Amino acid sequence: VIGDRPTAVLAHGLGGSSDLPIPYTYALIGAAWALTFTFAVVALAWRRPRFDAAKPGRPLPARITTIVDAPATRWTAALVTLLLAAWVAVAAVIGPQDGSNPLLGVFYVFLWVGLVALSLAVGPVWRAISPVRTLYRLTPPSRRDAPSAYPPAWGYWPAALGLFAFVWLELASADPGSLAAVKIWLLLYLGVTLAGTLVFGTRWCARADPFEVYGVVASRLSPLRRNVDGRIAIGNPFDHLPSMPVRPGTVTVLAVLLGSTAFDSFSAMPQWRNFVDAHADSVPLGAVAIRTVGLLVFIAVVATTFSLAARATGGVDRRTRRELPGRMAHSLIPIVIGYVFAHYLTYLVERGQQTVIQLFGLHAEVGYVLSTHPTVLATLKVCFVVAGHIAGVVAAHDRALHLLPRGHQVTGQLAMMFVMVGYTFTGLYLLFGG
Amino acid sequence: VTTLKIIQTLTAFTAAALITAGCGGSTSSDSASTPSASAPASTDAPQMSDQQNPPTRLVIDVTIKGGEVTPTNAQYQSAAKELIVVRINSDVADQLHVHSNPEHTFNVEPKSGQSFQFTVDVPGKVDIELHQLNKTIATVTVQ
Repeated sequence: VIGDRPTAVLAHGLGGSSDLPIPYTYALIGAAWALTFTFAVVALAWRRPRFDAAKPGRPLPARITTIVDAPATRWTAALVTLLLAAWVAVAAVIGPQDGSNPLLGVFYVFLWVGLVALSLAVGPVWRAISPVRTLYRLTPPSRRDAPSAYPPAWGYWPAALGLFAFVWLELASADPGSLAAVKIWLLLYLGVTLAGTLVFGTRWCARADPFEVYGVVASRLSPLRRNVDGRIAIGNPFDHLPSMPVRPGTVTVLAVLLGSTAFDSFSAMPQWRNFVDAHADSVPLGAVAIRTVGLLVFIAVVATTFSLAARATGGVDRRTRRELPGRMAHSLIPIVIGYVFAHYLTYLVERGQQTVIQLFGLHAEVGYVLSTHPTVLATLKVCFVVAGHIAGVVAAHDRALHLLPRGHQVTGQLAMMFVMVGYTFTGLYLLFGG
Repeated sequence: VTTLKIIQTLTAFTAAALITAGCGGSTSSDSASTPSASAPASTDAPQMSDQQNPPTRLVIDVTIKGGEVTPTNAQYQSAAKELIVVRINSDVADQLHVHSNPEHTFNVEPKSGQSFQFTVDVPGKVDIELHQLNKTIATVTVQ
């Protein structure tokens, strides 16, 4: 008997199938390329730093900057997004209360992956369209000074916590497909972000809104940027990358992003699922607790290995050594973005279509353009991972030349290269399915 | 000169990579066989929709007894548009969810000899899950 009952959803809270594992040969070729490039960069590449965040990009026509910065453009973008958010909220309340509600797709696909793609293409857009910022701008407190100054020591830590809360809901909680859970999460997000903004002003959005910080991270790899004079310019993303602000928590933000993506594919492995099933009854809170610990371990491993590798050099004093992980952190961005796209591209393209169809009640069919071409998809995945790795290695090499004293510039970056190769091999292994 | 050296090194490595990859590929291609799907019992084949059964199909036998599910987290291979049959002996009512694109849902009743059949058209890894017991029976890799 086939019943069209409400379909509860499991994987990623969105249901449907997940990607095929990449073929063994693809993983091997990707790994070989990653090794080759790392070797080539360390041994043969340039010996003088080339990239500089202060180097201005090639300015685009002034008209573009004028149009983008015009209050009319800003208000239109902000208000359209606010209306869309309101539409999603209405759909979340009066729409079907099951897996076919568009809220899930908006949350897991558009907010998590779509925003990254958009920020990578055109820059940190969440700053311009964030519904919280728009609401704040519409209220009187925004025209006064903020009651308190944001404590600099907090840095990006609140955002790291927010990002962890997101990946926890998606990968560790009891039912990521639960509409109620997503609604509670979003209400908490709105509450915390609005309250923080009322207390600390928009600096709270810039430092503590997980989506804004994620967008800033992705935007550092964008060819589009602003010159010092505010002109919109196009330039080498490697010059743009080092402009990632170094604040307390920067490394943690990146570790949450990379660690959670790796945990995502790890948790699909049957060995892990058997382990969770076997031990779920013997620990308090069961499977949720085990998955939470697993997620935390993945994040901690990334944060620890990266920090140790960045510090593993001779010829620097203690204070400089402590600063090294933060100042190298931007080189993780391409690895994170490459890995995120390798994982979630099908989600963005196919679930994205599904979400738009659900959101506006369209009578259209989802085109499974990637799933039906597994070879193309596998090639794309390996290309994303390897390209991210190469860009990460290049950025790390250049920054090492900047930071490390002469005589330690080659040996001082070996540990970092080793760790990056480790990330990429692990990533390919997980995409290959273990 | 340095550029030339880099290019030479890269070419050498690529060649090495391709050779390694080629070797690995030829040994590991154990074709999309269907483990434990050997017995397509034709006697109690469900008469549901398919007029023309494809020559091959995947049969998964499931037992639900006293809250225990066998198998769990099993791995199977299948091909797109190939018939997949899940035969269930159960002592409780539950719901069978097939996380394919689009999804399938079947009601499991507390009785023996039920079978449910479906095809998966879009390649991917498809979880077959029991909703109430919250257990994944199997993941079918549909090529």
